[in-house]
Amino acid sequence: MTEPNRPTELTCDDVRDLAGSFVLGALPAAEADAVRAHLATCPEAHAEVAALGSVVPVLDLDAAAVGLEPPAGLKGRILAAAAAEPNVAAAVAPVAAPATVPAPIPIPFPSADLPPERAAVKPRTSPLAWTLRIAAVIAIVGLVGWNVLLQGQLTESQQYQASVAAVLQAAQQPGAVAAILTPDGGTGSGIAAITATGDITLAMHDLAPTAGAQVYEAWAIGSDGAPVPLGSFQVGRGGTGSLDAESVPASAGLIVALTLEPDAGATTPTMPIISKGVATAAG
Amino acid sequence: MSESSEPLPLRVSTPVDDADREVLVRVAAGDLDALEELYDRYKTMAYSIAYRITNDASLAEDVVQDAFLGAWRNAAKYIEGRGSVKTWLLSIVHHRAIDAIRRRRPTSELPESTDAPPAALTAPDIWPEVASGLDAEMVRGAMAVLSPPQRQAIELAYFGGLTQQEISERTGVPLGTVKSRMRLGLLAMRGFLAAAPGRDDATLGTSTP
Repeated sequence: MTEPNRPTELTCDDVRDLAGSFVLGALPAAEADAVRAHLATCPEAHAEVAALGSVVPVLDLDAAAVGLEPPAGLKGRILAAAAAEPNVAAAVAPVAAPATVPAPIPIPFPSADLPPERAAVKPRTSPLAWTLRIAAVIAIVGLVGWNVLLQGQLTESQQYQASVAAVLQAAQQPGAVAAILTPDGGTGSGIAAITATGDITLAMHDLAPTAGAQVYEAWAIGSDGAPVPLGSFQVGRGGTGSLDAESVPASAGLIVALTLEPDAGATTPTMPIISKGVATAAG
Repeated sequence: MSESSEPLPLRVSTPVDDADREVLVRVAAGDLDALEELYDRYKTMAYSIAYRITNDASLAEDVVQDAFLGAWRNAAKYIEGRGSVKTWLLSIVHHRAIDAIRRRRPTSELPESTDAPPAALTAPDIWPEVASGLDAEMVRGAMAVLSPPQRQAIELAYFGGLTQQEISERTGVPLGTVKSRMRLGLLAMRGFLAAAPGRDDATLGTSTP
């Protein structure tokens, strides 16, 4: 590319001769670079190059007109991959959109007043809708992750990103359910996935740090209304926490909730719920 | 040279272009719903182009994923005024697909300098917009003006990822002829588009050879 190992100074006539090949990408790298170098310095405008180049996208439109549908699963994979990779431009370049960073709350949420609609559209849209909701949350927690990182709390941030990825992966397993936890009487948002075999993974952010023996305890609340303890974790200055534990098996409608307990080992909540979400089919 | 030395002033901002730009601003801000919208709008076109180039369903799928993730990462770098979002996005798909087939090609077929990537692998050149407002009939019409040899040369280059030298070797046609087929073919398409009704471009209608 930069090695001038052969004389590639082109004349204007050369460039005109090569214009079609150039705009179609049919020149070896050295020759294409020689054309670009000429165009950058030549006093003549060489408008013919742009004139031919402007036609090239029409070739793509012709190919596009065939109308082949991509496989249905591709969209979910793309959105999941995008969700797992915070959009750097949004996170790092405040000049691009200082005011358009999404507000952390509210998150589109499958609240309890929507079940009829969900039942009606479930067969086609439910798994994908879930992927999207998870993706939306991760976009947000991704930004939070960046902020944490910028504060120098690299390790915690990395752990958190890893736990988010683990939740996402668990949510994609067949039969898994997922819940988006939103603040309910406290602070703390996040996502949880429960697999068909009864493993829960949970990633939370924006939690108040725990002090002393304090722990956040996660609970599964089934249709009988009785909370089942899932496990506990502590939270440092970064406000993030995660859990990977045994759970009750996945079922739609299960509520995942967090309480801040004075110490580990509670078998029934002694403190009010601070964040919760309802699980729906994800896989 | 007096022939066709002006770019076509066909830059027409359609309502679709404006809507696309709005979506892309949201994509740049990290909005996954916007990425989904963009995908829904262009998945079929993107996959069709990727399949045309790779001729392989699973590779085409990888290319489309790669391209939309590229758009996700680079949405903030899209420059308004250099072309529609559609052209920008489809050109990303195109270039990723060409990258993919060039990587796959046996090394014996690669051009002599394997360390220097072909031009398309680096920064795609961006041309003034012409494609955005075209309907299917115009596209078909523009393709139909190509002679079969012109069409073959252009397709081997643009969809086959071959260099002009490779096209010459593969078809047994002299290099100079390959070059002029590509150039005259594009020129003919341009002439058709310039002369088409609805294009305020009468002064450029003389370029068809």
